[in-house]
Amino acid sequence: MNEEPMSTEWHLDAELAGRYAQGGVSTVLASSVEQHLIRCAACRALLTPTVPAARLDAVWAEVLETVETPRATLLERLLRGVRVDEGTARLVAATPSLRGAWILGVVVVLTLAVLTAHADGNGIALFLALAPVLPMAGVAFAFGPAADPTHEIAAAAPYSSLHLLAVRTVVVVASTLVPIGLAAPFLPGNAWLSVAWLLPALALTVTMLALATRVAPHLAAIGLSALWLAVVIPGLAHSRNALLASELPVQLASLAALTVSAGALLVQRHDLPELFRRTA
Amino acid sequence: MNTTIDARGLVKAYGRHRALDGLDLTSTTGVTGLLGPNGAGKTTLLRVLATVLAADSGDLRILGKDPHDPEGRLHIRRSLGYLPQDAGFHRGFTAFEAVDYVAVLKEHTGARARHDEVRRVLDRVGLSDVANKKVRALSGGMRRRLGLAQALLGTPSLLVLDEPTAGLDPEQRMRFRDLVSEAGHGKTVVLSTHQTEDVAAVCSHVVVVKNGRALFAGTPTELAAVATGRVWVDTDRDPRAYAGWRLGAGTYHHIGDPPAGAQLVDPTIEDAYLLLLGPQVDLEGREVA
Repeated sequence: MNEEPMSTEWHLDAELAGRYAQGGVSTVLASSVEQHLIRCAACRALLTPTVPAARLDAVWAEVLETVETPRATLLERLLRGVRVDEGTARLVAATPSLRGAWILGVVVVLTLAVLTAHADGNGIALFLALAPVLPMAGVAFAFGPAADPTHEIAAAAPYSSLHLLAVRTVVVVASTLVPIGLAAPFLPGNAWLSVAWLLPALALTVTMLALATRVAPHLAAIGLSALWLAVVIPGLAHSRNALLASELPVQLASLAALTVSAGALLVQRHDLPELFRRTA
Repeated sequence: MNTTIDARGLVKAYGRHRALDGLDLTSTTGVTGLLGPNGAGKTTLLRVLATVLAADSGDLRILGKDPHDPEGRLHIRRSLGYLPQDAGFHRGFTAFEAVDYVAVLKEHTGARARHDEVRRVLDRVGLSDVANKKVRALSGGMRRRLGLAQALLGTPSLLVLDEPTAGLDPEQRMRFRDLVSEAGHGKTVVLSTHQTEDVAAVCSHVVVVKNGRALFAGTPTELAAVATGRVWVDTDRDPRAYAGWRLGAGTYHHIGDPPAGAQLVDPTIEDAYLLLLGPQVDLEGREVA
């Protein structure tokens, strides 16, 4: 910066320099002092020894905190808006299956499924086959080395991996259910179909978590997806109402799977972090 | 002197393969280097020490605690900094965000204090200038330093570093060794390497590992002394040597049982390491036919 030659303008004396350094001058006077200091090397030299190092460090730290700290993401701000603490919001925001690409993928798949359902009488099969699988897939890819590059570091950290998994599961399931729930009313036919996927979705997700204590989560998700599709696709291929005909058995089986899997997780709750660690 | 790590007869098997086969290790303040070829069991041992893996059997105390006990494990994790072999970060994060994320996992509460700590460790590894650069835009050496930065969070009393200098060029390796030496001051650092130069540069204690067992434990000087009287030079290659290579001056450096009248030379850590690994390895530590 080019400094203007000193002329008839005023300069700081030792008393004013001391008061300014201690923060003891009015805002207006402080502003004048600062304008002058920018241009006057002599006054800056006078001021330097009077500024307490601790105050300078505190001011500098405040500047860094304001300038350098990255802005919270939209998801983090949303979570903090519903009283999730700042640290947890940061951990959730790093969940791989909450990234834009995943959400976009879910929306595209569901849009195609709804359009197919309108175009073809049996097209609703696609929606009902996919809707329960998506939340499970999202949770399966929310943890483990295949999805989380910091998995190994997290495994050695004191933060409860069970807490992290639980929070991520809730947020991933919720974020996936929202687009599915929004798409469901646009399905043709029986209104019941709009919610028939919900119980199977929860059952598949919880069963995947229960199986993840024995096998890798993505393998559990692939296996359960194959099983689910094997059950629902053939039925729908035979007639338009095939799923409706088997609705009660499917719902009851989902309820049973949900109950058994949740029970298994509950029984093993103290060992879950280590069990997940072995398979993930 | 307080013992930070006391391991006796550690066994860890993957199916029929015993990655750790009754390994003993004692470590105190300073830098301990685990030296061994690929597949020797170094990474498995470090993962056990970092409480990521549980040993199948054996006695282990880390910082006086039993890692099998949930309370003990938590205590260890709160005092631990761990750099895995393949330390990854979300590539969309900035360097600051990546370390901040780990700081949350390490229970650094209070955003302001946590951010100050993140800035401290980034400064420590010389990454302050790229704090707001995306991880994917950082060079390999910078990403390795970022890995060390997260390990230094909270000034841990035990640092476990898996191959910290792997993939770094000579200048980066030298800088990294400086960082590790500084970090090891008054703390316990356990690092794995297959570079004998790393051991000579930073380690106060060295353990040679092969097939899941500790073949040697002592100071680098003591390790070099293992090969005393078993290293010689000659103008021709001696086929009876365990290992031998041509030197720039046109002579051949040999390790093994010297012939009568051989011109013995002072052994290096590398000589002793190759001697300990036995006759069927090359200079990279690979088994040869």
